[in-house]
Amino acid sequence: MKPKLSQLAIPYVIWMALFVVAPIVLVVVYAFSNDLGGFTLENFSRMGTYAVVFGRSFKLALIATFICLLIGYPVSYAMSREGEKFQRAAMVLIMLPMWINFLLRTYSWMSILENNGLLNQVFQKTGLLRLYNGLFGTNLDYFPMMNTQGAVVLGMVYNYLPFMILPIYSVIVKLDGSLVEAARDLGADGFNVFRRVILPLSLPGVLSGITMVFVPSVSTFAISKMLGGGTELLLGDLIEQQFLGGAYNPQLGAAISLVMMVIVVVCMVVMNRFGEGEEQAVIL
Amino acid sequence: MSKELIRLRDLCMAYDDELVLDHLNLYINDKEFLTLLGPSGCGKSTTLRIIGGFTAPLSGDVLFDGVRINDVPPYKRQINTVFQKYALFPHLNVFENVAFGLRMQRRPDPADPKRKTKLPEEEIRERVLEMLEAVSLKGFENRRTDALSGGQQQRVAIARALVNRPKVLLLDEPLGALDLKLRKDMQIELKRIQQQVGITFIYVTHDQEEALTMSDTIVVMDKGSIQQIGTPEDIYNEPKNAFVADFIGESNIIDGVMVRDKLVQMYGRQFPCLDGGFAENEPVDVVIRPEDIDIVPVEQGQLTGTVTNVTFKGMQYDIIVDFRGFKWLIQTTDHSPVGARIGIKIDPDGIHVMKKSRYSGLYGDYSSFSDEYDELDAAEPEEGGNET
Amino acid sequence: MKRRRRAGSRVLTALVFLFLYAPILLLIVFSFNKGNSNIVWTGFSLDWYKSLFQNRLIMRSVYTTLLVSLLATAIATVAGTFAAIGFYSLRRRSRAALSTVNSIPMMNADIVTGVAMCLFFVAFFSFWSGFAGWFNGVQSVVVLPERLTLGFGTLLIAHVTFNIPYVILSVGPKLRQMDRNLVDAAQDLGCTWMQAFWKVILPEIKPGIASGALTAFTMSVDDFIISYFTAGSSSSTLAMTIYGMTKKRVTPEINAVSTLLFVTVLALLVIVNLREARAERGGEERRPVSRKLTRLLDTPRGRMLRRGAAVALAASFLAAVVLLTGATNAQPVVNVCSWGEYIDEDLITRFEEETGIIVNYQTAESNEALYSLLKSGAGDYDVVVPSDYMISQLIEEDMLAELDYSQIPNYALISDRFKGLTYDPQERYTVPYAWGTVGIIYNETMVEEPITSWSALFDDQYAGNVLMFRNSRDAMATALSYLGYSLNTTVEAELREAFQLLKDAKNRGVYQSFVMDEIFQKLEGGNAAIGAYYAGDYLTMLDNNEDLRFVIPEEGSNWFMDAMCVLKNAAHYDEAMAWINFIASTEANLANMDYLWYASPNQEALEQYPAYYEELYGEELGQEVYDIIAAPQEVLDRCEAYLVLPMETRKLYNDLWTELGI
Repeated sequence: MKPKLSQLAIPYVIWMALFVVAPIVLVVVYAFSNDLGGFTLENFSRMGTYAVVFGRSFKLALIATFICLLIGYPVSYAMSREGEKFQRAAMVLIMLPMWINFLLRTYSWMSILENNGLLNQVFQKTGLLRLYNGLFGTNLDYFPMMNTQGAVVLGMVYNYLPFMILPIYSVIVKLDGSLVEAARDLGADGFNVFRRVILPLSLPGVLSGITMVFVPSVSTFAISKMLGGGTELLLGDLIEQQFLGGAYNPQLGAAISLVMMVIVVVCMVVMNRFGEGEEQAVIL
Repeated sequence: MSKELIRLRDLCMAYDDELVLDHLNLYINDKEFLTLLGPSGCGKSTTLRIIGGFTAPLSGDVLFDGVRINDVPPYKRQINTVFQKYALFPHLNVFENVAFGLRMQRRPDPADPKRKTKLPEEEIRERVLEMLEAVSLKGFENRRTDALSGGQQQRVAIARALVNRPKVLLLDEPLGALDLKLRKDMQIELKRIQQQVGITFIYVTHDQEEALTMSDTIVVMDKGSIQQIGTPEDIYNEPKNAFVADFIGESNIIDGVMVRDKLVQMYGRQFPCLDGGFAENEPVDVVIRPEDIDIVPVEQGQLTGTVTNVTFKGMQYDIIVDFRGFKWLIQTTDHSPVGARIGIKIDPDGIHVMKKSRYSGLYGDYSSFSDEYDELDAAEPEEGGNET
Repeated sequence: MKRRRRAGSRVLTALVFLFLYAPILLLIVFSFNKGNSNIVWTGFSLDWYKSLFQNRLIMRSVYTTLLVSLLATAIATVAGTFAAIGFYSLRRRSRAALSTVNSIPMMNADIVTGVAMCLFFVAFFSFWSGFAGWFNGVQSVVVLPERLTLGFGTLLIAHVTFNIPYVILSVGPKLRQMDRNLVDAAQDLGCTWMQAFWKVILPEIKPGIASGALTAFTMSVDDFIISYFTAGSSSSTLAMTIYGMTKKRVTPEINAVSTLLFVTVLALLVIVNLREARAERGGEERRPVSRKLTRLLDTPRGRMLRRGAAVALAASFLAAVVLLTGATNAQPVVNVCSWGEYIDEDLITRFEEETGIIVNYQTAESNEALYSLLKSGAGDYDVVVPSDYMISQLIEEDMLAELDYSQIPNYALISDRFKGLTYDPQERYTVPYAWGTVGIIYNETMVEEPITSWSALFDDQYAGNVLMFRNSRDAMATALSYLGYSLNTTVEAELREAFQLLKDAKNRGVYQSFVMDEIFQKLEGGNAAIGAYYAGDYLTMLDNNEDLRFVIPEEGSNWFMDAMCVLKNAAHYDEAMAWINFIASTEANLANMDYLWYASPNQEALEQYPAYYEELYGEELGQEVYDIIAAPQEVLDRCEAYLVLPMETRKLYNDLWTELGI
């Protein structure tokens, strides 16, 4: 009966080969060819020019990931301590925003953050702005929040925070309560229980959370376009520009994608080695 | 007790190039309680799975009533199984678990023999309730299985298998997850059930005591081969080699030389015995059961040694005695203090002579006494029993 | 101590939820706004909900979204469950390898996945057309379609592909938790493998399947990037429609549709969760209704009923697929790609009603983006509306089809001065759509004195308040004009000088952002002071912010003509002709001119517009407004039209443009 069972994987393996592996192979092929289809390394030789973009993207994505972790971990932990009903509701509430398209949610942030947006109007009406101007001797009509790197990071944190909370939560909530009791029995105080038992055991969730936030952050183009004003390109913008944007050059786009992919994969491998390669924690 | 029901012919099985069954040959009689006994990894569970149809052998045949059933899938075999840890369906209650097999059954429609019909609901209900009563679980029909104790789950599993009226019931270490007291009760219960339903039980265990208590026939296995087949008495009294002697009960196994028929030499001294049929001066293994040794004053002893350890066991003392560096276990009702010099005497029928085998020299010394002793006693309950 | 910590963590959780829901709340609130602003509340109304149901574009994209998400979820759930079972019974090593491949779509950046699939589909299509051509040549029994395009099918494949991993990921652990002997036990008790699957495995892994399906569905609905690259020209998901709008102004109708979706899902989830909670509390007791139903279904008639229901379900599923792929094929269609808010949408409705031809209307961001869409194969349109210089380039690259002017009698209505322009001197490929000028739009209250020169775009005085074009040709043109060079210069030094001007200004922080249609809400909302944009759009903005002014700088500027063209190998050539003829009519031109505030090339429309305006709004159209719409000849004389640039210059533009972004 055994061979029969594993045969069930065959259709999907074929599907994967066709629609996952083959397209990526094609990206690799494109990356190494010029616009006539010949082999070239030229696309990579130009990569140095874009080092700044790589640096900026990775920097912003790292900051966003770090903030997500900083917020997401305590929240997941706090949620797992609550009653069952609360947990159930909280899970629903965390998934639910995804039902409003992320473009729209980001757009909503635009109207909050604009120079004339909701927040600035609140600041003006409450006199906070005047207070600030008085305190620091500035003459601001508004706090510039839009079109900054901060706004882009905020967009990333906002959009991808659930992807940090869900895996961490799902790991923490499964931790055996007796482990905590055992640690206490062996003389660990609250902090040490957390540091020596809960934290190491929740590491798989943390790692998969980091991956699930970092990867989309580093490659986003919609968020940076909408909240960042497009003055400072991110990797996603650069790639999109080469494929569907203003500077058509799919070979270069493929090469940039490839380099980004390789860097991300290397990061993940190193991180998973470090976290003992536990299989992906499941979201939900 | 006479008709042959199952025959395994030349079975071979390997996982990842590791031989698990090595040309196994065995026949099993109808209505017999047969136990496959051996340490973990000996191939007993694999043998059971092959009979059940869950695993196909690499080579060899499985015959049922004289018909080869290698290619018959499990759901078409008149064989049912009680699994390790029971494998009760968690999404079904007790009644539905027991009724599961009956609901799967189809039989010719009495009205139109060409069509097959399900069993009528009343019949299913009747048979399930009857079976639950037989395993003393009347009134538990609507319980969730995970709300039952280990012993109750065990009995649901047995009821679920037996309600289908199989010709053979396979039991894969079914008592492993139970505590000692319950295990003893269930042993008797199982034997009773077997006699009541009058079908063949094939029982897999690594617990020699279980095997001795319940079985009509015991098959001792190790490393994929059968070491000995026989009644419990045969196995205990006439072990074929050092492995069997050691695995079944406690044994002192000593190197000896068969001087001639009915005379064996150990420690340079000759002991009369009842065995024969060896070549002259053939090296042999000599098995002496701890309870067959009498302690006598030093001057009357066939051998003398020093007591190194005494353990009170309730009915008797277990005494470890050092004979020139080789430590024996002696079970006696008389107390001897540690350090005492004692003599021992062995009756001829207390001495069992075995041919040398590949197990010679591996067992039978109680120097590493405490470890081995404990291990045998604990019968190593499997991890993960879910008693509640 | 403990209690206080608990309270602290509750506050934190509450804050996070506030953070997650604040923008959503805002969105929902403003779906009930009377006006179309997203910040200014002008009163409660349900108008947007009403008009939502009349907006075909949105309704169609909602339909596409739901359909593709449902189908993809259904397929991915079934396939993923079986694949998970297959994985689970594999040896450890091969399982690990496959799991790695399985996690690629999740771990890979969406944009790379999207791009890779797009490349793959396009490559496959070209291989296929070769194969089908050969195959149809050797035999004539079966005729294979030679032309495959991106569309609903590829969109579905893409969604299924990125959904399956989520299903596997949530079913896998449930399988691993399951006692391996359960399947053996079921088989032992008389189940075939299939029966064991239905009766034992499925109930055990059901929670995993459900959560996998829910995750997949959510991901599908939320996805934009992968759809963007794989949907092609004939289908748009809601996300794509929204993306088209975020550049300009998201109509509150989108808020309304999102609110509806959100509330529906919220209600569904609440019901499911309540039921689950009740089921758990109720222990093993099955609910009486379902028990009755089971008993009913267990009778022979019930079995027939059940089988019938299954067949019906499968049939309707199949029918949906066939309808979806078939209906669109059966009904005449025309795929149009234009610019954002570049048509009076009533015209689409009217055309569809008159001719029965369905219009799939998509928008591109700029001429360059359109070119990329066409080149990459992601855009497979019939009619496009590029600007003059891009038309020349498309003709040069042999990408346009000649028009059959006999099917476009309304071409005669086009003013002679807009016929036979440099991009199409022989009048073979184009019918003009609209024309206009580029100038500076500024907020009177935010600048010291009226702006007259391009220098304002490079002036530190306005640092952080200037909006610059996000397309290379227009952006460079502002700098070239300012420097006094031709907009069509091919001199590298001049181009580099212009580039340096932009780059320096950017580095000094002059530009608040690079925009295309986002400029609307930025200038209207008073979020920026100055921006370069198109004249007609200025008038649209003026409607929403009276402080805005428009000027064509003294150095001169660009005047442009957008014209309708048909792509070579267009799948719906005749429908395309019908569409072009319809749009060229005086009636349509008047409607468009009124909606866009771009000048019409139709002579009658140009002349009749002031009267049309007066009749519509009951007030006179000011001459200065009319002059902004349709610049008088003396202004046009100061302006220069773009010409197609030679290959090397275009390459230079691309490189400079990419470099500017860095």
